[in-house]
Amino acid sequence: MNPTLTPQNWPDFLAARTRRHFLSRCAVGLGGIALASMLNQARGAGAAPAGPLAPKPTHFPARAKNIIYLFMAGGPSQLELFDYKPKLAELNGQPIPQSFIEGKRFAFMDSSHGTRLMGTRRQFAQHGRSGMWVSELFPHTARIVDDLTMVKSCQATLFNHAPAKLFMNTGSGQFGRPSMGSWLNYGLGSECQDLPGFVVLQSGPRGPRGGAVNWGSGFLPTTYQGVPFRGTGEPILNLTRPAAVTADGQRDALDALRDLNLQRSVATGDPEIATRIAAYEMASRMQSSAPELIDLKAESAATLKSYGIEDQRPSFARNCLLARRLVERGVRFVQLYHTNWDSHGGPGENLQADFEKVCREVDQGQAALVQDLKERGLLQDTLVIWGGEFGRTPMGENRDTTGRNHHIDAFTMWFAGGGTKAGQVIGETDELGFNAVRDPMHVHDLHATILHLLGLDHTRLTFRFQGRDFRLTDVHGKVNHQLFA
Amino acid sequence: MRRPSTPRAFLLTLAAVWGVLPAFAAVPDYVREVKPILTQHCVRCHGAAKEEAGLRLDTAANARLGGASGSVVRTPGGRESLLLAVVLGTHEDIPAMPYKKPPLGAAEIALLKAWVDAGAPAPEQEEPGRFEHWAYRSPARPAVPAVAAAPAGWTSNPIDAFILQRLAAVKLPPAPEADPVTLLRRAALDLTGLPPTPAEVDAFLADRAPGAWERAVDRLLASPHHGERWARPWLDVARYGDSNGYSIDAPRQIWKYRDWVVSALNRDLPYDQFIVEQLAGDLLPGATVEQRIATGFNRNTQINQEGGIDPEQFRIESVLDRVNTYGTAFLGLTVSCAQCHDHKFDPISHRDYYQLFAFFNSSVDDGHGGRRSRSTGVLTLSPEGRVDEGLEARVAEAQEKLEALFTAHAAAIEAWRQALPAEKRATQRPASVRAALDVPWEKQSFAQRRSVYPLARPGDADFKALSAALTELQRAVPGAITTLVMEELPEPRPSHLFVQGDFTRLGERVEPGTPAILPPLRAAGPRPNRLDLARWTADPSHPLTARVIVNRVWLQYFGLGLVETENDFGSQGIPPSHPELLDWLATEFTARGWSLKALHRLIVTSATYRQSSNAREDLALVDPLNRLLSRQQRLRLDAELVRDAALTASGLLVPRLGGPPVYPPQPDGVMSLGQVKREWKASTGEDRYRRGLYTHFWRATPHPALAVFDAADGFSSCTRRLRSNTPLQALTLLNDQQFYEFAEGLADRVLRERPGAPLPEQLAHAFRLSTARRPSAFERDRLASLFARRLAAETGEPAARQRAAWIAVARVLLNLDETITRE
Repeated sequence: MNPTLTPQNWPDFLAARTRRHFLSRCAVGLGGIALASMLNQARGAGAAPAGPLAPKPTHFPARAKNIIYLFMAGGPSQLELFDYKPKLAELNGQPIPQSFIEGKRFAFMDSSHGTRLMGTRRQFAQHGRSGMWVSELFPHTARIVDDLTMVKSCQATLFNHAPAKLFMNTGSGQFGRPSMGSWLNYGLGSECQDLPGFVVLQSGPRGPRGGAVNWGSGFLPTTYQGVPFRGTGEPILNLTRPAAVTADGQRDALDALRDLNLQRSVATGDPEIATRIAAYEMASRMQSSAPELIDLKAESAATLKSYGIEDQRPSFARNCLLARRLVERGVRFVQLYHTNWDSHGGPGENLQADFEKVCREVDQGQAALVQDLKERGLLQDTLVIWGGEFGRTPMGENRDTTGRNHHIDAFTMWFAGGGTKAGQVIGETDELGFNAVRDPMHVHDLHATILHLLGLDHTRLTFRFQGRDFRLTDVHGKVNHQLFA
Repeated sequence: MRRPSTPRAFLLTLAAVWGVLPAFAAVPDYVREVKPILTQHCVRCHGAAKEEAGLRLDTAANARLGGASGSVVRTPGGRESLLLAVVLGTHEDIPAMPYKKPPLGAAEIALLKAWVDAGAPAPEQEEPGRFEHWAYRSPARPAVPAVAAAPAGWTSNPIDAFILQRLAAVKLPPAPEADPVTLLRRAALDLTGLPPTPAEVDAFLADRAPGAWERAVDRLLASPHHGERWARPWLDVARYGDSNGYSIDAPRQIWKYRDWVVSALNRDLPYDQFIVEQLAGDLLPGATVEQRIATGFNRNTQINQEGGIDPEQFRIESVLDRVNTYGTAFLGLTVSCAQCHDHKFDPISHRDYYQLFAFFNSSVDDGHGGRRSRSTGVLTLSPEGRVDEGLEARVAEAQEKLEALFTAHAAAIEAWRQALPAEKRATQRPASVRAALDVPWEKQSFAQRRSVYPLARPGDADFKALSAALTELQRAVPGAITTLVMEELPEPRPSHLFVQGDFTRLGERVEPGTPAILPPLRAAGPRPNRLDLARWTADPSHPLTARVIVNRVWLQYFGLGLVETENDFGSQGIPPSHPELLDWLATEFTARGWSLKALHRLIVTSATYRQSSNAREDLALVDPLNRLLSRQQRLRLDAELVRDAALTASGLLVPRLGGPPVYPPQPDGVMSLGQVKREWKASTGEDRYRRGLYTHFWRATPHPALAVFDAADGFSSCTRRLRSNTPLQALTLLNDQQFYEFAEGLADRVLRERPGAPLPEQLAHAFRLSTARRPSAFERDRLASLFARRLAAETGEPAARQRAAWIAVARVLLNLDETITRE
């Protein structure tokens, strides 16, 4: 009953075989359905997506489809950028009132410096129709404030970099939990058949603390983990075929491999082989789609100029443009890391020249990204998130140069597009910028709210592991409806 | 890889085709057959302790009486009873029962239905049922069932009797035995992690005498590679890694522990001893070097070397990790929930948790990996493997002398430090000295004090002499082999409950102790220590220890354990598919002196193990997840074995055992993904071709060929790896430099071993090197056509063209799903 297998008829061949095998299995789960749709697509397009990444329905209508998360690694100082505190400047040099710090634990808590208040030396002004405060360090960002929701009352739990960054990404300071991008691909699947559903781009002098666990899939299958792309050169590890292999040689090998795998799939009836065949086909498509992605030739000179991309070097601005190109191609979650925002004072980390430098590195690119997405009609479906793992203290650290310590009680993040309300400020800090006094938004609430924007109920997006149902928000999280348009 | 797991839908289907359920001619016996189901699944919420919805199901009378929604067993007007509706999940308003738990099995539902249909008969006088979780009772030795009409080759082994009994109940025949070549490759990969050579296959096929299979199994069990294969799952549980983790992720030496595990498995160290040496080898009377190395199990915790941390916080993180790993590894329990509160579903209390914590809270290691004057649990070994006690002692002695000096001048230095003007402070170099000056003398580390002291007391001759002597000694240390071990403080640290798991909020004081639900602890001394805990754990009557390990061994052979939630034997876990078999194996295991090799042999020589792994369409409805084991399972090889299989086929494998980690090539740029950019200098020579087990494992930036195939991350105890199936795996096998080298190796090997042979014979040889079997006609022809195409496309010398075409064939063979799968 088996027809002869040829490279031309393999999808039909596989379909005939697996239909017999799976139609009887439909009742037991989605496997059969996913495979049926995969085979339909395979016949239609000569290409098949991997089963676990097939698009899945949301819990309720989504406001956003994609996320671009601009992760400011190290914890940018909100007091130098967005949270304008004249009173702090007035009390410059005075000890922080004991009532603020009693019972609190800090990073570097043994050190003797860092208990005196320090006002910012930066000039602030109000911008746009919304009148949002932005400092002189972010002139480009100041021009897009009417597209932003700014939350000044963000709160985190952990105050050392690696655990805090993990917390921001996975909702836990412990290793081994899935990151938000993994959860979203697990919950929603991927709309892109040529690229992974979760892509990570990096810029700055060093990698983010903690490294790959920040975009890991934890106990979720590795299919859902973030794939680091490099902005130049070979974008994905092992993407390029070995030097001695020609394009034809690669295709010939892939064709033979597919036929032999198919033969084995017929012999064993194991559906995993069909998934593997699909994975090889996707890998093969990525070999052309990923280099095409990072090739900016098709972008106009005006676009490159708006982002401030001047050469081929890797940069945050370049990654911003790549982020737009990724969501254009249906990639669900794009995360950009930029270091180094860890402004303790001292060489390389001061609030003077070093801070100005890192601000310059991100300002134009991030503003251009929001503007570009808006002009192309992509902003309504794409949520842009900007923020670090925590903020900085109102107290100064006086070394050779000044800095501020890590601060988790109040810091600023901003959001654009993806169903968020444009031109509003949420939350408020006290007159020293120490505590959130109105509408505090904890990281768990942030996660719940982001999932909500993507059409997912954070209490229903679960995965059973080690005998319990895990969630991105653990047992916490309140959706903050104020963010929504 | 996730399985379509909707057992409820499966049951609904069953309900629709009611006919497939086992039919019960007679009315079920309430006390013997029905009550245990209700007690096991319902009484915890519908019993004396907790009357959810006003309903109790602990007696038949209470079931008839019903709760808020009326009687649950009456069947008004021929409709389904409430009890049936909720266990089938067909009720409109009431959620499916058991609530948020796996549904009852088809046989159990059939029993309930038959009982309800008969009018729910039950004796008048009835003792209310009380829930008691199976896993907390010691396993009783069940009788091996008698099996009538067993297929040929079955019932040779008690395992088969238990499996057949369940299959017979649903009228499923087992699968036929796999063909001999598949079988030998399966056993070789399962027992040694290396595929068989063609010669080994031929020898096995030629052995027609009775007992050929057993002989092959014994040969594999005796191979030194057996220990390498089985060390890996244990190292996953032990969260082994070659770096410190967290953000700095500096390299560490603890490979001696890895080699200890390999050696212990090779010499079949009884599992009870295996437990005791790892948990408390240092506390054994007259502990040997090897026994101390074994305690590295508890030192596989991460160390945070980030600046500005509170070391105590991370010391406590390590202790918590030890408790959680202990619970997972030996008890199969998720104790970590009890870190913050009483375990919601299991009787492990908050107090139980911190009593376990107290066992692990008194080791010498600090939270920063720093070296104070005293030893921090590092064993220094000479290259011959002997402890260089002299060196370690001399270093410690030199440090102590310096510490004495520091103490003597503490007050003066602190006064000097406080008086130091800010400008002076700011000009100090290097930055570490500046940082040290910001820390009060009392809190400075040894290294900090050593850098500050000469500033405060310039020209102190004593200091100069002592410091120089220490430097001299320390210079001797780096060349030495070290390994991390457990070492007890002379005086135990006090332990407390942490309120909501927060170590800054101390609750009441606790002493070392074991969970109240489990058998009592007998301590040798006045205060229980780790050795007492280890011996308690390794007691043959312990309800969990043997069951947990036989189940984890089982899952390596069949993909899933008899208890599917191998890391949760608690009441939230899924009950065993074959409870009697689990208990029989557990008791057999302890009765055979905790011999793991005996357990392997028992499983691998069963007919159950030897079944074909091909899918069976007749299982789709009755047993889609193959829980009844009417066939074997195709399993993608673990990450390290994917490498080993290709290395073996290529003939490049260097099979040497043990030693420091090695650095096979990896793509550029991997090491730059972590916070600290580290160098990966690819090994040359033999270390380039070692087994995957020996690849240096950086926790923050693991080798991509391992990570992409789901290697355990080394951050927390891992009892079962996922098996994903992704495009990145395809890219690795297709394009990675090393896999290309392996393909070249395979091509060269074929040309070397079959020079001038006809192409079909060469192809068959290459195919056997990769998959152990001969290719089918289709497979051979397809490879021949690829070879012809590539030969025609290549240019240059005939030999070069031929080699290039062979490399193309070899790449396909090493990428085959079958090559990286144990069938």
